[in-house]
Amino acid sequence: MSQPLLRGRMKPQGPVGLRRDAEKVAGALPPLLAEAEVLAATVAMGVHGRRRAGHGENFWQYRQAVPGDARSMVDWRRSGRSDQQFIREMEWEAAQTVSFWVDDALSMDYRGSDDALARSKAERGRLLALALSVLLISGGERVALMGTAAQQPRGGRTQLNKMALALAGAEREDRPDYGAPPPDRLPRGGRAIFFSDFLGDLDAYLPALGHAADQGVRGCFVQVLDETEETFPFDGRVVFESMGGETEFETQRARALREAYVRRLAEQRARIDDLARGLGWRVLRHLTSQPPRTALLWLYMAVGERI
Amino acid sequence: MIGSLAFAAPWLLAGLLALPVLWWLLRAVPPAPGRRAFPGVRLLLGLEDPEKMPERTPWWLLALRMLALAAAILAFAGPVLNPRPRAGEGPLVVLFDGGWGDAPDWAGRMARAGAALDEAARAGRPAAVLSMAQPVPPGETPPFRAAGDWTERLAGFAPRGWGPDRNAWAEWFRAAEGDFETLWITDGVSDGAEAALGAALIRHGAVTMVAPPDAALALTPPRLEAGALTVTALRAGAGAARPVGVAAIGPDPNGVERTLGTGSGAFAEGADTAEIALDLPAELRNRVARIALTERRSAAGVALADDSVRRRKVGLMSGAAPGEAQDLADPLHYLRQALSPFAEVIEAPLAETLNAAPDVLILADVGALNPAEEQELGDWVKRGGLLIRFAGPRLAQSGVGQAEEDPLLPVRLRAGGRSVGGAMSWGAPRRLRPFPEASPFAGLPVPDEVRISSQVMAQPDPDLPNRVLATLEDGTPLVTGHALGDGRVVLFHVTANADWSNLPLSGLFVRMLERLTQSAGGLATSAEAVAGSVWTPSQVLNGFGDLEPPSLVAGVPGERLIAERPSRAMPPGIYASADRRVAVNVMRAGDRLAPLTGLPAGIRIETIAQPPEIRLGPWLLAAALLLLTLDVLATLRVSGRLGRLRARGGAAAAAALLAAALTLPGQGARAEGGIPAYPGRPDRIERAQGYGAPGYGDGYGGGYRDPGFGPRPAPGPGASADDKARYAATETVLAYVRSGDGRVDEISAAGLRGISEALYERTAIEPAEPVGVDLEADEIAMYPLLYWPITEGQPSLSDAAYSRLNDYLRFGGMILFDTRDADLGASMGATTPNGRVLRRIATRLDIPPLEPMPEDHVLTRTFYLLRDFPGRWANNPVWVESSPEAEQVEGMPFRNLNDGVTPVVIGGNDWAAAWAIRPDGSAMFPVGRGVAGERQREMALRFGINLVMYVMTGNYKSDQVHVPALLDRLGQ
Repeated sequence: MSQPLLRGRMKPQGPVGLRRDAEKVAGALPPLLAEAEVLAATVAMGVHGRRRAGHGENFWQYRQAVPGDARSMVDWRRSGRSDQQFIREMEWEAAQTVSFWVDDALSMDYRGSDDALARSKAERGRLLALALSVLLISGGERVALMGTAAQQPRGGRTQLNKMALALAGAEREDRPDYGAPPPDRLPRGGRAIFFSDFLGDLDAYLPALGHAADQGVRGCFVQVLDETEETFPFDGRVVFESMGGETEFETQRARALREAYVRRLAEQRARIDDLARGLGWRVLRHLTSQPPRTALLWLYMAVGERI
Repeated sequence: MIGSLAFAAPWLLAGLLALPVLWWLLRAVPPAPGRRAFPGVRLLLGLEDPEKMPERTPWWLLALRMLALAAAILAFAGPVLNPRPRAGEGPLVVLFDGGWGDAPDWAGRMARAGAALDEAARAGRPAAVLSMAQPVPPGETPPFRAAGDWTERLAGFAPRGWGPDRNAWAEWFRAAEGDFETLWITDGVSDGAEAALGAALIRHGAVTMVAPPDAALALTPPRLEAGALTVTALRAGAGAARPVGVAAIGPDPNGVERTLGTGSGAFAEGADTAEIALDLPAELRNRVARIALTERRSAAGVALADDSVRRRKVGLMSGAAPGEAQDLADPLHYLRQALSPFAEVIEAPLAETLNAAPDVLILADVGALNPAEEQELGDWVKRGGLLIRFAGPRLAQSGVGQAEEDPLLPVRLRAGGRSVGGAMSWGAPRRLRPFPEASPFAGLPVPDEVRISSQVMAQPDPDLPNRVLATLEDGTPLVTGHALGDGRVVLFHVTANADWSNLPLSGLFVRMLERLTQSAGGLATSAEAVAGSVWTPSQVLNGFGDLEPPSLVAGVPGERLIAERPSRAMPPGIYASADRRVAVNVMRAGDRLAPLTGLPAGIRIETIAQPPEIRLGPWLLAAALLLLTLDVLATLRVSGRLGRLRARGGAAAAAALLAAALTLPGQGARAEGGIPAYPGRPDRIERAQGYGAPGYGDGYGGGYRDPGFGPRPAPGPGASADDKARYAATETVLAYVRSGDGRVDEISAAGLRGISEALYERTAIEPAEPVGVDLEADEIAMYPLLYWPITEGQPSLSDAAYSRLNDYLRFGGMILFDTRDADLGASMGATTPNGRVLRRIATRLDIPPLEPMPEDHVLTRTFYLLRDFPGRWANNPVWVESSPEAEQVEGMPFRNLNDGVTPVVIGGNDWAAAWAIRPDGSAMFPVGRGVAGERQREMALRFGINLVMYVMTGNYKSDQVHVPALLDRLGQ
């Protein structure tokens, strides 16, 4: 296991801090990664070619050389068996870069049920991100986790471990109530998948999304919500507050607000849809109460689509 | 005190004043809102609450809390509903009237006296309990002793059949010394001395008079009015209109006392008497022994009927030789027809008739009697007999009473007679003149068609007018009579058949005879008749109006019997002297009851039927707790936390509800689950195996058996006797005696069904559906076992039923008597109502001597080995025929019973209820508790199986002692 990753303010170093962090990481990593791998195993595996000629290691096809082809490209062994000159084309195996952003704001820590099996939105987002990463890396793609030490797109197991560490590692201390994508550079032509609840101000997303549009990055919004956030099953006199306590709202009879809330939620979703349509992105709505597999499958198909 | 509500600590009620303050405080503090972290809060911002609620506690929650607090304050103030007045100081005298008037509310009076004594005992006050129906105590102070002593003795007091002697007691109290408080529990019937008594009592201290809730009722002796038995109901005090009912009670033809008829009347508003006529057929009327009020029973509410309404014995004699005449010409024929409905007719020679002690003797056309007969007859009349003679040719020709007055004829007769309306006479047949007032026939309507054509004529002696009871329209005497000794001689101047007149053909004849017969013996109660002899009570009335054998009552001279009121020395009842009987009733004809009047002011008056003291505190406290629990729930609801509670399995809510439930007294214990189902087939390990021999039930029918039982359905109650008999004869059928009480019958049927099913499952006996038998109608010989649950309403049996039962017992049947009261005890009945009923039934049954079941009785080992025989109750002895002494046979105790199966098994364990199953096979009643209870039920079933086995196999198991000897012999 590599040096534990530290984010935010530097944590106390030295033997004590090191050991504590190591234990924390060693304790947190295997379950998350293992769970992600189990989940990924349920989706078809295997390196997938691009099914077209390009830069790659595997033979794709021979084709007759046409004027303009460089002579060095002629495959003389094949051409020697006929009068024509053939060019050996390899399958395009350029690795795709997929950038993940998993919202780590306080709002994602919410879970509506006290049930031990219930997962917070952040947990579900991390799981999905890591599972998809497992799939993509085994497919030879490169992945990156924005805003963390794993933000450089890489492939291979090492990157996976790095991502797992970053996802399961210690949380930042100054997390805001609602998150926004970090201003990381996105590789041109890559893919991006944003896991968030999208309950904050959508304007905070615009810089990152503008950059993505500039880079020609396509991707998905995955709105992870808790069931209670969709059904609003509250009643009576309640003071609602945001997870960090910044925002408060008091009502005398919560039940009476349900319809208005549901309407507001639908409006918010409509805005997300608008945003996505403008960018050419796609939107997945996922509830923590739903099984993660369908979402993973949907994401895998969405990422694998031809651009 | 507010009305009948009082508070133990009224100053605590001041706490209620604090409620408005609490109101204000509670209103100011609304319930705290729940805080919830919720990421979606941003979406909520700016939303308006559609339902504006003030930032205050909802009014209903507030009201709930105020109510809870108010209930708690009230509870601690100790409210008492119907509080007893606080006790005074000094000695307490509890004074009963103690007479018949106390009987209707006796339990209430005892309770009131008991409560007063308890209170006095707590306060350490001495007390005395006195009954004014008893003589005044010696000395000048009431016999005070510790109140606790009197509580024990209170049960010994009982109302007496006579009234209280308030006069004597007033005298005594006036002379008594010392101050005491008096609780006078009165019957509310005036005897004129209550004012004096009240004045005498109040001189010694406070007097509380406890009045009965309803006016006392009484009945005057019955009398015959226009053929109907009439009684006058009296009440003390004229109140609102009130219905009143009476029942006439007497022996039925089998000698069993029954209600022969009922009558009802009503006190009009403001009236204190009501006439009630019992319109009974003459036969029934003659059987009436007493008439009793159907409610508020007491000695005064029972009117004993003596000879005056009794059925009379009438002897008939004719001068004509019997058998010669044709029926319609027979002089006795009309008499027989007329008398038989209401009198007992004796036809025998004169000597025998007189031996039968008739009330009336009728001589139809008898001329001369021989001197001996004349002497006997004369003596009989002088002792009070009524001699009725009819004229006729023989009497006319005999010349009796013509020359001189014959003692056995009321008047002198003229020689020859007269005949009118015949072929040789001028006049027309004569009609009757209406009866004179003094005549016994007064008031009878005279039919027009009655014509007299011949008669014998009376000599116009100077005293003839006094002796005439009926005359013809021309004034000729038709019926004459005069007293002779205690009795009377009456002469009809015509024949008893239709020869001389058509009087015997008319209804008037019957009614005249009835009047005459009834008047016979009525003389016996007149003062002259009673005087001179000593009368001893044969039955006396207790205060409750029940007849009892007398104890320690001396004979009463006849003069006093008539002149005096019933008293301690002369309790009401039936008095006999020789063969005459006189009823002494509490009430006399013409008596009235009056309420107490003229009581001095200052006497506190309350009624007996005061509702009991109820302490409301615990209930209010429970209500307060309940309200507070509701408040918890409501608060949770208002703050929206109730839903979450529910989602967590409602544990907290359940706990709260449980707490609420426990605060309700007496509700918690019920929830222990219902009756466990019948525990299926028990293991067979414990089956008795006799003395090691193979068990009786094991060898047979080992194959598969249908779980149902009985191939044929039992015939219903409406089935014909033949069907029932065929069913009982072709199947093994257990039977129970129908008690007439639907519930008991249902339990019996279910119980026998249960035991039949157990027999079917476990033994080779496969009984069919049990049947109920009506002892009066059904043949019982075919049933091996009769289960007879005794009820209080068990009707008496007819002679036929008794003889059937005795035959049944004699020829091998068995009856299982079950008093169902678990209290047979060592005294064997008589202590419980059912036990008494059993005794009554059993006295006429042919039951051998009984003993509690010995330990080695065959019943303990016919199938299972049993030690006791529980039903729903346990540990009560079971009685069986006492067996001869056990002898030692080959080392084993052996009773040589010759297969004498005990004909009866008597117990009180309510076996049927333990056996009873519902159609679905589950037990009908719980037995005991838990596993021990199920064990008891199993034991009850085993007893039933043993019993039926015993019935079926006799003493088979008892023979098992011979098995070693038999084996020995086989071995040789």
